[in-house]
Amino acid sequence: MNRRSLLAAVLATSTALPLLAASPARAEMDINQAASFVDSTGRELVATLNSNQPIAARRQRVAQILRSAVDVDGVGRFILGRWWRVATPAEQQEYMKLFEETLIRNLSARFGEYQGVRFSLGRAQQRTEDDVLVNTIIERPSTAPFSLDWRVSDVNGRPQVVDVIAEGTSLRLTQRSEYSSVISRNGGQVSALLDAMRRQISALAAREGR
Amino acid sequence: MSFLRRPTLLLLGLLTLSACATRPPASEPEALAEYEQANDPLEPFNRTMYTVHNGIDTVLLRPAAEFYRFFLPPPVRTGVRNVLANLRSPMVLVNDALQGETRRGATTLARFLMNSTFGIGGLFDVAEQVGLPGHTEDFGQTLAVWGLGEGPFLFIPALGPSNPRDLAGFGVDIAADPVGWGISDGGGTAEALGWTRLGLTVVDTREGLIEALDTVNETSLDPYATLRSAYRQRRRSDIRNGRPAGEAPAATLGTGLDVTEPPAGQAR
Repeated sequence: MNRRSLLAAVLATSTALPLLAASPARAEMDINQAASFVDSTGRELVATLNSNQPIAARRQRVAQILRSAVDVDGVGRFILGRWWRVATPAEQQEYMKLFEETLIRNLSARFGEYQGVRFSLGRAQQRTEDDVLVNTIIERPSTAPFSLDWRVSDVNGRPQVVDVIAEGTSLRLTQRSEYSSVISRNGGQVSALLDAMRRQISALAAREGR
Repeated sequence: MSFLRRPTLLLLGLLTLSACATRPPASEPEALAEYEQANDPLEPFNRTMYTVHNGIDTVLLRPAAEFYRFFLPPPVRTGVRNVLANLRSPMVLVNDALQGETRRGATTLARFLMNSTFGIGGLFDVAEQVGLPGHTEDFGQTLAVWGLGEGPFLFIPALGPSNPRDLAGFGVDIAADPVGWGISDGGGTAEALGWTRLGLTVVDTREGLIEALDTVNETSLDPYATLRSAYRQRRRSDIRNGRPAGEAPAATLGTGLDVTEPPAGQAR
């Protein structure tokens, strides 16, 4: 068991290294800067979710916030993982577009559920030199409060969210196995994932109309 | 709990019959790494079991949970959840002790005593109100703390995602539960109480998962893969009692005067 997991770790590292090399330079992340970044982004997001503007206007604002607060490119590439290099340049471009759209639509399709949402800042802790985990408690009317951790990194000189962790479960890791499984089960075709993403986006858009 | 035995045998039989996932050749290191990481050599079998599980869930578990939520007001459901947690706490205490988690064990013991008395048989979680929030433990986690690996991923109909270690732990927890002994030693009333407890545990658990599982089924392009990944990450985090990976564990088998505390908000 030990030797197997060691082998897996070595293989995982060797596959992760080229990925790291390809990502933009990361500088040290200051713990207080990360916490205040999560605080201000959270405030903006909560204000938008609770506003009574029309859905389309709110979606646009959420898209704006996410684009500036989330390292969409980095997270998107991380999630596609080893299939990034299998994809053609056109597929890569299409994937990024769909990934961003999925991110936004997943939130905007749930505007109703997020009415009255509040959050409070928990403690922040330095994970690695360039990586801070900021804890928040999310409260919604009629559901029990739950804890979300935001992994914040310095991307090109400004703090950005690179992962969200709920109850020990990393969103980007979970989504990576989901996407990879879709591609593997369709004979290694990245286009199969793109089709599935397009179908999902139209389903979410239809739901938003309701 | 003899009803557990027959399905287990059937399951083992199916296991031996089922086809295995194909292991990628060494010439494809990335595919191989992913295969190792997914830890699911029995994937075709597991996916079949997942379909079976979804059938049971659609016709039985989820409707029962919806029914339960619709007909019982929130305070009653909270009371039920508290009583069930209180009944589980002797086994949590045993597992705290087996893991050498003296401080967490003391918390569990204090909670059990307070909630059983002032909390009227566990109906009210008074301990939480005085700053002693509960947490769960099970024998699967204890085995992991002792160094046992999880083994291949398994999807068990009606139980959900698991693995040989957690499944064995589940069985040990049931067999060793002192509350269960009390029930099996009693007469017909005690047996009825045992079944009531089992039934309530099932609907309470499923009710608590309605939103989470609905979200997975609606948003995931492959809910099976999502559940597999989420389950394994969650278990790893639970085994570490919420401490981030790589951080030194609390002084186990020590005096209980350890300085490492689980981060606030994660101690459950």
